[in-house]
Amino acid sequence: MSPLQVAVLGAGNWGTTLAALAGANGHATRLWTRDAAQAAEVNLRRTNRKTGLTLELPAQVRATASLEEALAGAELVIAAVPSQAFREVMAAASAWLEPHHALVHGTKGLELGTHARMSEIVRAETAVRQLGAVAGPNLAAEVSAGLPAATVAASPFPRVVGLVRRALSSPRLMVFESRDVLGVELCGALKNVVAIAAGMADEMRVGENAKAFLITRGMIELTRLGFAMGAQPETMSGLAGIGDLMVTCTSRRSRNHRVGVALARGETLEAALQALGMVAEGVYASVAARQLALEQGVELPLFERIDRVLHEGLHPREALEQLMGLEAGRDVPRLKARAASSLARAG
Amino acid sequence: MRRAEVIDGAAIAPEVINGVTEAVVAASRRPGGDPLVETVHETIYTETQRLAAEPAGGRARSDRAFVAELRHALPGAAQTELERMVRRIVARYAVEISGRFDPAVYAVATRALPGALAQLLGGGDVEQRLLLEGEVEALRAAAAHGTVALVPTHVSNLDSLVMGWAIYRLGLPPFAYAAGLNLFSNPALGFFMGHLGAYTVDRKKHDPLYLATLKEYATVLFARGQHGLWFPGGTRSRSGAVERSLKLGLLGTLPQALSRSLSAGRRGGLYVVPCTLTYPLVLEASSLVADFLRREGGPHYVELDDEFSRPRRWAAFFKGLAELDLAVHVRFGAPMDVVGNPIDAEGRSVDPKGRPIDVRGYLTAGGQLVADAARDAEYTREVGEQIARAWKRDTVALPTSVLAWAVFERARRERPHADLFRLLRGLAPQAELDLGTICADVERLVARLTGLAASGRARLASELQPGHAREAVERALATFATYHPVPVLQRRGDRIAVTDANLVYYYRNRLEGLLPREEVRA
Repeated sequence: MSPLQVAVLGAGNWGTTLAALAGANGHATRLWTRDAAQAAEVNLRRTNRKTGLTLELPAQVRATASLEEALAGAELVIAAVPSQAFREVMAAASAWLEPHHALVHGTKGLELGTHARMSEIVRAETAVRQLGAVAGPNLAAEVSAGLPAATVAASPFPRVVGLVRRALSSPRLMVFESRDVLGVELCGALKNVVAIAAGMADEMRVGENAKAFLITRGMIELTRLGFAMGAQPETMSGLAGIGDLMVTCTSRRSRNHRVGVALARGETLEAALQALGMVAEGVYASVAARQLALEQGVELPLFERIDRVLHEGLHPREALEQLMGLEAGRDVPRLKARAASSLARAG
Repeated sequence: MRRAEVIDGAAIAPEVINGVTEAVVAASRRPGGDPLVETVHETIYTETQRLAAEPAGGRARSDRAFVAELRHALPGAAQTELERMVRRIVARYAVEISGRFDPAVYAVATRALPGALAQLLGGGDVEQRLLLEGEVEALRAAAAHGTVALVPTHVSNLDSLVMGWAIYRLGLPPFAYAAGLNLFSNPALGFFMGHLGAYTVDRKKHDPLYLATLKEYATVLFARGQHGLWFPGGTRSRSGAVERSLKLGLLGTLPQALSRSLSAGRRGGLYVVPCTLTYPLVLEASSLVADFLRREGGPHYVELDDEFSRPRRWAAFFKGLAELDLAVHVRFGAPMDVVGNPIDAEGRSVDPKGRPIDVRGYLTAGGQLVADAARDAEYTREVGEQIARAWKRDTVALPTSVLAWAVFERARRERPHADLFRLLRGLAPQAELDLGTICADVERLVARLTGLAASGRARLASELQPGHAREAVERALATFATYHPVPVLQRRGDRIAVTDANLVYYYRNRLEGLLPREEVRA
């Protein structure tokens, strides 16, 4: 099979790692970054020091600061830019994104204000229809170091899943498939909020029991919201759901976990983010989760309190006490689709 | 205008039969594919099931004989014999489906149609009774630049007549349209429908070979540039609400039809045009909502009233329309391509920034046109959602539906814990509401609809003007009084009496999804 032409938009940790994977598989890979100096470093030295990754990029990876150059001739486009810059990049790329393109994104977040998922932004800004998302327990540092890992390529289009598999799968990375883009996107975005809670629990030294309690309730709330929005509940028990939640809540490499640790230590959110030096998607996702819960009429006590810690000054200990003070209902609530009443049904 | 007649079914039958047979045979040879013997078994099984519920005689007798013949020939049949059997089954279905367009009948019918409609409408001007609104010029442009798939909401059996007139009045060439096989059981009606460009759809047939033949028939028609019309709701809305879920079968043929058209080097696109039909009164409203409530309610609901015979109801219906100068709204939405992109004045697909794009790319992989059923199904699902949104947005709010909404919701506020059937029983017979309160409710609803209309999210009839709720209520009461056996709602001094709660519910439902409501338990 002939090599693919792959365009990776975004040269952060994850974008660089994905480009390296595609390049290592022999695919002609263009890595787009806004930063011409960063592109030059990739092309001349085969490194991308800004990301903190220590990998050496394969010769098949060529970086560029031109979207036109990155997208010319590409069959598969992988977008890995921060959620709050996603729309801007898609709007800029739309001039060269065409109907034949298959596009997946690896961005775990929701747009602030609109709460749009990244696939919705692609639909709104570009002509591309064959869309998908890539997500899972994938710490960029581990994947780029060649440690074994698995991910999910979600798309209702078999061609898209097939292209992602060709581009990324290797003896070190298993690529599982799913059709549930909505579920995978929500898991990827909302687990970051739970990771902040886990970071707080670690720093507050409230014990492993409490941490497991918070993570599990977070998972249940995530499932409840996802189901109300139309996601498949089984997605939550897969790699993009529980898998990603496990890694992001237990690894001290997780950015969101680190934000939780900093807040529990008494730092302000601004200071925590400044110290991090990178985007922590959970900080935005908590706002979106709260709004979505309101729209869907579902209760998310944990998410609500994490959001209040992040944006309303609630102390993490107070948040935990409030959670412990709630009435304990059914452990795993039955999921009830919001079935249209007979008044709403056409006939 | 490209074509003055509908493609004759006989002309495309060989292509349809070959297409389906070859696809089935090829699929049977693939690893994991269904062997042909299973395919024929499926035909025998599904047809036997269907025929068990059919009356004796006519078409059913012939079908039973055919199934018996298949059953007799199947045991031990060799591969070549099985292929021949599949071809015969498909050919039989193709003949049944095929339209037989006759230009002479079409010419006579189109000459007679305006006069007949005018007569039905009490001698009035048809154009004042049937309002053609919305993206009319865009529809004409789409039909000039390519092939149109026109997809209206389905309210009444009069819809076919109304759409036929609309197409004629817009100067469009005749459309092939998919009509239920039951409508062809009347020989005279069947003759005219077949010769006007209708092809048959039998909803009772569940044989996969039948469904494949029907889809192939539609695919070939669209691929050859034949404009088409069907009702993706599948059947008339029972509840009165605008359909929210569509049957996607025929819609799903469009990507493949476009692919074949491009492959054959034909010029011109393939465009989907949503259309809404809104009636101030619905001829069959009583029986439709009774059917809806029977299905919903099970033992909760008992139908009490009989209906008048059809001719009298027709006469009353059209008399009512004429006397009150009422109009049916036929509203066309913006044309879109087969993946849901808007199109420009030249019929080119455009991206969200308004830039022309090559729709061919949606159907290619590695630069080549490729068949991909999963891809097409996803495109179709999205286009189906867009059609449903367009239907909701383009359904015209009329005084009858707004008044019915106000009355029903007022009753619901007064009994917030009642389920639907208790509400209906509480309303009928003869519940009365304060006229002033209802007028105030209507005023609020009109204000809300006006706000939605300003942002293109709703459509209002000209009778609904802010500050004129009283006139709108009077207009609706007069309309309700003209046709139905009882007047639905009736003014009694400063009260409004509910005389048919089911119809209040039916007319109210047309605005479902547009206006706010409290939850009600079904």
